[in-house]
Amino acid sequence: MLSQRFAQQTLRRLAVQQPAYRFVAPAAIATRNAFVSQRRLAATQHISEADASNEILAKQRLHRPVAPHLAIYRPQITWYLSALNRVTGVMLSGGLYAFGAAYLVAPYIGLHLESAVIAAAFAKWPAILQVLTKFFVAMPFTFHSFNGLRFLSWDTASLINNKQVNQTGWAVVGLSTVAAVALAFL
Amino acid sequence: MALRLATRRLALAQQAPKVFRRGMATPTASDTLAHTKGEPLSTISEATSASRAPIPPSKTTTIKEPETDPQAKIKTFHIYRWNPDEPTSKPKMQSYTLDLNKTGPMMLDALIRIKNEVDPTLTFRRSCREGICGSCAMNIDGVNTLACLCRIPTETAKESRIYPLPHTYVVKDLVPDLTQFYKQYKSIKPYLQRDTPPPDGRENRQSKADRRKLDGLYECILCACCSTSCPSYWWNSEEYLGPAVLLQSYRWIADSRDEKTAARKDALNNSMSLYRCHTILNCSRTCPKGLNPALAIAEIKKSMAFSS
Amino acid sequence: MASTALRPALRQILAASPASRTLTSAALPAFRSQKLLARQSPLALQRAAFQTSSKRAILPPLPQTIRGTINDAATVPDTEPSHGSYHWTMERLVSLSLVPITIAPFAAGSLSPVLDGAFISLLIIHSYVGFQSCITDYFPNWRVPFWRKFFDWANFAFVGIVAWGWYEFETNDVGLTEGVRRVWKAGSKVDVTA
Repeated sequence: MLSQRFAQQTLRRLAVQQPAYRFVAPAAIATRNAFVSQRRLAATQHISEADASNEILAKQRLHRPVAPHLAIYRPQITWYLSALNRVTGVMLSGGLYAFGAAYLVAPYIGLHLESAVIAAAFAKWPAILQVLTKFFVAMPFTFHSFNGLRFLSWDTASLINNKQVNQTGWAVVGLSTVAAVALAFL
Repeated sequence: MALRLATRRLALAQQAPKVFRRGMATPTASDTLAHTKGEPLSTISEATSASRAPIPPSKTTTIKEPETDPQAKIKTFHIYRWNPDEPTSKPKMQSYTLDLNKTGPMMLDALIRIKNEVDPTLTFRRSCREGICGSCAMNIDGVNTLACLCRIPTETAKESRIYPLPHTYVVKDLVPDLTQFYKQYKSIKPYLQRDTPPPDGRENRQSKADRRKLDGLYECILCACCSTSCPSYWWNSEEYLGPAVLLQSYRWIADSRDEKTAARKDALNNSMSLYRCHTILNCSRTCPKGLNPALAIAEIKKSMAFSS
Repeated sequence: MASTALRPALRQILAASPASRTLTSAALPAFRSQKLLARQSPLALQRAAFQTSSKRAILPPLPQTIRGTINDAATVPDTEPSHGSYHWTMERLVSLSLVPITIAPFAAGSLSPVLDGAFISLLIIHSYVGFQSCITDYFPNWRVPFWRKFFDWANFAFVGIVAWGWYEFETNDVGLTEGVRRVWKAGSKVDVTA
């Protein structure tokens, strides 16, 4: 950026200065006076290279923005399924943790989390709600399970090129949806 | 220093002959404070961490190509702009229109044409224009690639968006600062390390099979497209090495002539350098040279599975 | 031309103060060019000031700093196989052993108490490693050392709490697989009768 600007400035300066030489008599060129006009009048100061990189550059760096990332990167099956894998994993583990911790404190706060009680309560729900609940519980489970197999195969350095990643990705999406629907109606 | 530059520029502009006074199509200054409310994309990016999301193109002016003819195939390019001379201003998306009939087939041609004929303040890196130097790596239509290898989509209805490499610090416009990337590259010692002299005293020989192991590794041009496409690298570029550097690390681990394989693996054997890779696979998907960093990383992990 | 050429220089001087953005737009209007001010409505200025103060990014990247000179290599961390290769291998073995034990209840109806206990243990270890991976990714030690430590310990503590809770469930109730089956079937009974 800077070098380009300097190049432009030099060009301009030349354009400004050269015509001036035409009016200077050849005799005048021989004298010192003609060269005075060539000298740069701007004051310059020298700083060591270390100082320059520490101060000016470091100060410039502090102002730099970060280029946009998540919001502008094209949705692709690679990183979307990877993100979903983490999200579903956190959901499932969260459920496991929540129930485990809640079961521990349930007797002290008068909560009934025995499987028979939950089953009886669940049985009273409207059928459509039951199916939907089952689907939304089953879907993260089936997805995380099937996608987990994909990750395990990659760790053995197999099925890991663009085409196969694409194919297995969509296969996992299809398979986990079908399996979740089947489980929902089980 | 800044003041001096500015005054000198001012003085020159007054002296310069007409020919050298370029009609710079600088966007109006009022853009810099426009608010971004109601723009879903920018709200997301603000919530998710970009310290300063760019002002969307709908809030900035469009710089049009000077003359158009009725046969023109006008395509709009939205390009990320940020000027370090105004450090407190927000980055913004500047729109440009170009006639594709007068433009070369590649994105780099469009950028060069914008710089030459429409707006000389646009800044980007380019050198070889044939995909071997890696200078023009940028995010085009949401995917990291080399502008010189990326064709301009010919459908004019679709507008193209060009950003710098994602989650890099921006030096200016489309120029990212890759200092950290190069420092990381240096940290893996990307050169042949041997303690013993070659057996024949002349050169370190390699069988054809051993040489073949380096195919798909040595071709990497370090354009940083893969590393900056990796969400893990976005969040942890301080400590995680990223796909490009790990691919290069594997290039030396896999080299039969190198004698420091164990030391190289030891350098990766911690929670951050290598194991922040969660096989997201954006790297292989985006590589403009068609390499497979994800496979190289998987091979490293596999070979290190039972090593201490 | 004069104002546009001078402004960068002025801005750079102003940028030295930390709250420069709000200052330049609100408190120091005299420094801004008249043309620019005339073009902006007071409402837009207010909004801009409001927006800058209300932005809440989640762990935004810090301003760029480079450790050492640009020619120094990035530091190589110490070798720690227990957080590196051993940890990775252990996690793969846990995931791998989860595969058959997850399929088993679908084939056999439910698991024996011993297998069910093993299943739960593996799930908790798998969850622990999963959460740990999230914490390592999103709460870097150099960035938020306190919260990193806090979440790491919380994650560790929760393993104990949750394992205890599930131990109680396994011993006092029917166990995970049988419990899930019971609730799942309870739903379908109504499904048939309704």
